[in-house]
Amino acid sequence: MIRLTIDGKTTEVERGTTLLHAARFLDIKIPTLCYHPLIKPFAACRLCVVEVKRSWGMELVPSCHVACQEGMEVSTGSSHVLAARRLVLELMLARWPNVPILRKYAAELGLEKPRFASPLRDEREDACILCGLCVRACDEVVGASAISFAERGIGRRVATPFNLESESCIACGACALVCPTSYIKFEAEDHRGKPPEFLLDPNTAIYMPTAQAVPKVPSIDRDSCIHFQTGGCQKCVEVCEPGAVNHKMVDEEIEVEVGQVLVAIGYDTFDPTPMAQYAYGRLDNVYTGLEVERMLNSTGPTGGRVLLKNGKPPRAVGIVHCVGSRDENYHRYCSRVCCMYALKFAHVVKERSGAEIYNFYIDMRAFGKGYEEFYSRVLNEGANVIRGKVAEVVQAGWSKQKEGALLLRCEDTLIGRFREIPVDMVILCNAIEPRRDAEQVGRLFGLSRSPDGFFLERHPKLDPVATMTDGIFVAGCAQGPKDIPDVVAQACAAAARMMATISKGEVEIDPVRAEVMEEYCSGCRVCSALCPYSAISYVAERKVSQVNSALCKGCGTCVAACPSGAMTGYGFTDRQINAELEGVLAV
Amino acid sequence: MSRNGRGFEPRIVGFLCNWCSYSGADLAGVSRMKSAPNLRIIRVMCSGRVDPSFILRAFQLGADGVLVAGCHPGDCHYQEGNAKALRRVLLLKRMLRDFGIDEHRLRLEWISAAEGERFAAVSTEFTEQLRALGPLVLARRAEVA
Amino acid sequence: MPHRMHLMVCAGTGCVANRSPEVRDALVTEIAKRGLENEIQVVTTGCNGFCGAGPLMVVQPDGIFYQQLSPKDVPHLVEEHFLKGRPVQKLMYVPPETRTPLPKMMDIPFFSRQRLIALRNRGLIDPERIEEYIARDGYAALAKALSQMTPQQILEEVKISGLRGRGGAGFPTGAKWEHVLKAEGEPKYVICNGDEGDPGAFMDRSIVESDPHSVIEGMLIGARAIGARWGVVYIRNEYPLAVQRLMIALEQAREYGLLGDNILDTGFDFDISVSRGAGAFVCGEATALVSAVEGRPGEPRARPPRLAQHGLWGKPTCLNNVETWADVPPIINNGGAWYAQIGTEKSKGTKVFSLVGKINNTGLVEVPMGITLREIIYDIGGGVPGGKKFKAVQTGGPSGGCIPNELIDLPIDFESLAEAGSMMGSGGMVIMDEDTCMVDVARYFLAFTQDESCGKCAPCREGTQLMLDILTRITDGHGTMEDLDALEEVAKVVAETSLCGLGTSAPNPVLTTMRYFRDEYLAHIGAHKCPAHVCRQLNTYRIDPAICVERGHGCGVCRRECPEKAIFGEKNQAHRVDATLCNKCGTCVDVCHFNAVIVE
Repeated sequence: MIRLTIDGKTTEVERGTTLLHAARFLDIKIPTLCYHPLIKPFAACRLCVVEVKRSWGMELVPSCHVACQEGMEVSTGSSHVLAARRLVLELMLARWPNVPILRKYAAELGLEKPRFASPLRDEREDACILCGLCVRACDEVVGASAISFAERGIGRRVATPFNLESESCIACGACALVCPTSYIKFEAEDHRGKPPEFLLDPNTAIYMPTAQAVPKVPSIDRDSCIHFQTGGCQKCVEVCEPGAVNHKMVDEEIEVEVGQVLVAIGYDTFDPTPMAQYAYGRLDNVYTGLEVERMLNSTGPTGGRVLLKNGKPPRAVGIVHCVGSRDENYHRYCSRVCCMYALKFAHVVKERSGAEIYNFYIDMRAFGKGYEEFYSRVLNEGANVIRGKVAEVVQAGWSKQKEGALLLRCEDTLIGRFREIPVDMVILCNAIEPRRDAEQVGRLFGLSRSPDGFFLERHPKLDPVATMTDGIFVAGCAQGPKDIPDVVAQACAAAARMMATISKGEVEIDPVRAEVMEEYCSGCRVCSALCPYSAISYVAERKVSQVNSALCKGCGTCVAACPSGAMTGYGFTDRQINAELEGVLAV
Repeated sequence: MSRNGRGFEPRIVGFLCNWCSYSGADLAGVSRMKSAPNLRIIRVMCSGRVDPSFILRAFQLGADGVLVAGCHPGDCHYQEGNAKALRRVLLLKRMLRDFGIDEHRLRLEWISAAEGERFAAVSTEFTEQLRALGPLVLARRAEVA
Repeated sequence: MPHRMHLMVCAGTGCVANRSPEVRDALVTEIAKRGLENEIQVVTTGCNGFCGAGPLMVVQPDGIFYQQLSPKDVPHLVEEHFLKGRPVQKLMYVPPETRTPLPKMMDIPFFSRQRLIALRNRGLIDPERIEEYIARDGYAALAKALSQMTPQQILEEVKISGLRGRGGAGFPTGAKWEHVLKAEGEPKYVICNGDEGDPGAFMDRSIVESDPHSVIEGMLIGARAIGARWGVVYIRNEYPLAVQRLMIALEQAREYGLLGDNILDTGFDFDISVSRGAGAFVCGEATALVSAVEGRPGEPRARPPRLAQHGLWGKPTCLNNVETWADVPPIINNGGAWYAQIGTEKSKGTKVFSLVGKINNTGLVEVPMGITLREIIYDIGGGVPGGKKFKAVQTGGPSGGCIPNELIDLPIDFESLAEAGSMMGSGGMVIMDEDTCMVDVARYFLAFTQDESCGKCAPCREGTQLMLDILTRITDGHGTMEDLDALEEVAKVVAETSLCGLGTSAPNPVLTTMRYFRDEYLAHIGAHKCPAHVCRQLNTYRIDPAICVERGHGCGVCRRECPEKAIFGEKNQAHRVDATLCNKCGTCVDVCHFNAVIVE
């Protein structure tokens, strides 16, 4: 530790601390222009000069660069220091009279009217003041060196090589971020690598996936992170005090040996783009349920307000049920959750925006606990429910007044009339569908899928969480569309089933097994070639085959193939099956 | 059950694998699907368990048709038992002709656990087909009759 | 058979520009014609130093000095001197005071008052032949340093000598070497700063041109002392002759095993590469130079860390300028104490100055520290030409200060010059006479530093521009008293707050001229007059009718030449200038043969 005195206050700092840092610890303000905590000191603006007592007198030194030394006596506010700062600032104001940060410091230093005017006077508020932060950020931090200073002396300016679009630029925006005058502006042309959900937000390469992320830790977007593009930066590592940022982390494949697997891979939402009549992706303000959910989120892009693309609240909102569900062309099943979330939207959107709400339903399925009551409440709140499938969503018209408005066409089956409802926003309650990789997952675990594509349970009533494969269980929407209470119940059931096996400590296997009657076995080994589990081995000394009953699954293929009838399958012996045959054909 | 003329109701034996086809049949039942009552089901663990001799025995015992049903290729619970069944049924069909049995009386179908509807359709259609073929008359059995 | 005579023809840049190669060729031809080629050898040497009188030749062993030779003088010279033994008087140096020719070089005050250490071999050897350097005890110091001394002993010797950096700042060389020696980091580098950017200074060029091996030897000894393996000579590309001779010298040194691996069989490895600068003044600043050698923009960085800790490629680096390195071998040969007895208490040894400007003997002089300005200017330099009055001397290059006539007895060393507001710098001395306007001088030098500022730090970039604006305003006659105050204020802050030596010293010409010649500023501002009549915008031009008619008979040349057609008059009659039309270009003054145009 080093002891020094700043403005009469004695302080202790670590070796290597700059005077600027030491002063800031003591709450002493020193103006800076070319300094940035994450970039190496440049000592070029000279605005941060302070006075240090030397053997030969008082010396002005740049505090951003000079390190504290034992016994140093520093003055940051003497008339000498202030006069120097004022003059340096005056010199800069002579050239850039309107740059806000210079004017701010001028006001702080009591510089009322700058005396000088430079021949290169630049009146812009966002003029470049040559602090070099952008150049250094690009070089030191980013490692791209896409911009640099060109020319020298008074002609110095920040430029790309030969003033052409720099090939080294990785469009990270670091230069614009550090620019104190906004001379460098960043215009995003695309959002590389951002998940679609985030397109609505400005974002950084290191971000919290969502405001309520679990676990609540930020993640790094490899495609946007400067470090993964240039090998430089790593400023997050520098500022993270616990040292939690690790750029070396890579995806790992971990092999875990388990005895049971719960397949709960969830669902995908139906993409309504192919239903051209609903104009999703074609007309503005047509959203899917999940997009609206994001909009309603208080940490979402609109802070939870219901807004149209033009930033105004909607006057009327149409909510279309059964988009892709209960539809011969897409999914014949009912997705089970849409009616209720559609009613929730009706309630929340009306509450937040005051818009007129129209729900278009085929049948209102409010079957759960308290659901019907909620339906009544929404009806009492004044939501309009129209029984009828929406035929199409079209642009309302081209007049100025109707600009952006949409028209919903449908048949109101209760009054037997064709109706056209004008709205500003359409919410499509799209279906739940099996995950696009459900087939591969099914193959992996030997699971069957029902015609709708969801995983098939062992028995729809008696064994709704197990599958045909021992030790593999299903839960949630992987097994079929269901709402949260049902998912929780099914998952608990599956967990309980698995726990039961674990707590028992041993596994029951089916008694259906093959066995060799050695007295008949000739040792031909037809059976062993057929066994998919390699459960049949040949006992050379007795010249017979033998079944390992722990490996045998009891399929019986070997039994059917045994030429000498030596192989027999318990539960399904030839005698038993022949007896059955006689039985079924007796009448 | 009359065994002649219009009132002919074929007797069919179905060997259904435990994992797919039997479940499919179960689903058809649970789903209250209408299917022909002519099919008498024998559950086996795998279509691969169906010994050709069972099929011949069934015909011998008076079956007019035999259905062997297993999982779709690739879906076999025992990896490839259905492939063995396919091999055996194809070979057996050639032999049936020599016995004087129309090969269409033996049928192999892939029916998954989800395909209750398909099970119902197959059983109905097979019944109709056999109804058209008429009763199976085996020489020795005819003698006995 | 040894030659009886050696003709040392100077082939420094100055003499080459005055066609000394033609003189040499003529000599060779003429000598051959006379069949003297076995008796007389013509040697081309490096810069002799007396550049103002070139082309030069010294005839050895007698030491007869000839100046301002031209090829047509050669037949006569060969005939008279080399055949008949009668030195040719009309080609000798004639001191202005006595008007008697001085035949011997060492009788000429310009030479006799000098003490040559850095320039010890000038005019004596052919710089392109290592054998001649070795014959003059070259590389003896290296041999001594490698075989008889430890690095610590070398360092001690340099410390005892009191040698200080000749590049300008005067940092004690021994202390610098010690910092590098003790600094952590490998490898270590030595750098020779040959980026002589000061206009009017050419001693480094001259040393490299006339004696490149002395620099190489100095670097070798320095490298041995600090433990360096590699050296770099950073030299301006505007010195093509110096670069060429340095390259030849390096190649020869390698051939002789004086560079490379296992030098002189002592296990010491060292080699030197050459980095050519693109001619930015700021690259003379050590950190900017290192940045340029690394291939980055030549911009200085804030210190500390010093180069001794964080130099080339981030490694400990010892950077000295050409003259400093050239001083090292004699120190090792003769001992530090020998060197320390020359000079003043704090500034030891000798220093090379380049004398330019309003002085009779333009050239390079090496003199002991502590010599007075008067001795240099009058005794060595031969005084101000044309009987004009000496006014001031500007020392230390464009960012040095102007020292007035009152301080002419100032003994020259690092401290006294700094005290007078100037600096040693690289040793440039620009002599100014009464016809020099000090405000214009300040403006001129500031224009140079303003143009050469790299623009990194705000005070230097904006401050030099502002000061230049103010000075231009004053010399144009639009200056105010507020300008004068602002100029002083800005100059002081720029000097105090700038990042590197360029910025901190750039205001020196302004500050010293304001200190010693404030009356001239006041004349420009108050009376709108330039006392030296240099600032043309402040002059008024008038034609003396009497002279114009009586001597010139109204010749009318001024009328014809005046670009603004501001002069009227008939032949044989007095002409007059119409002040409303005159643009004060001064052409009339230049063209009038009769000095009839009066500037006021």
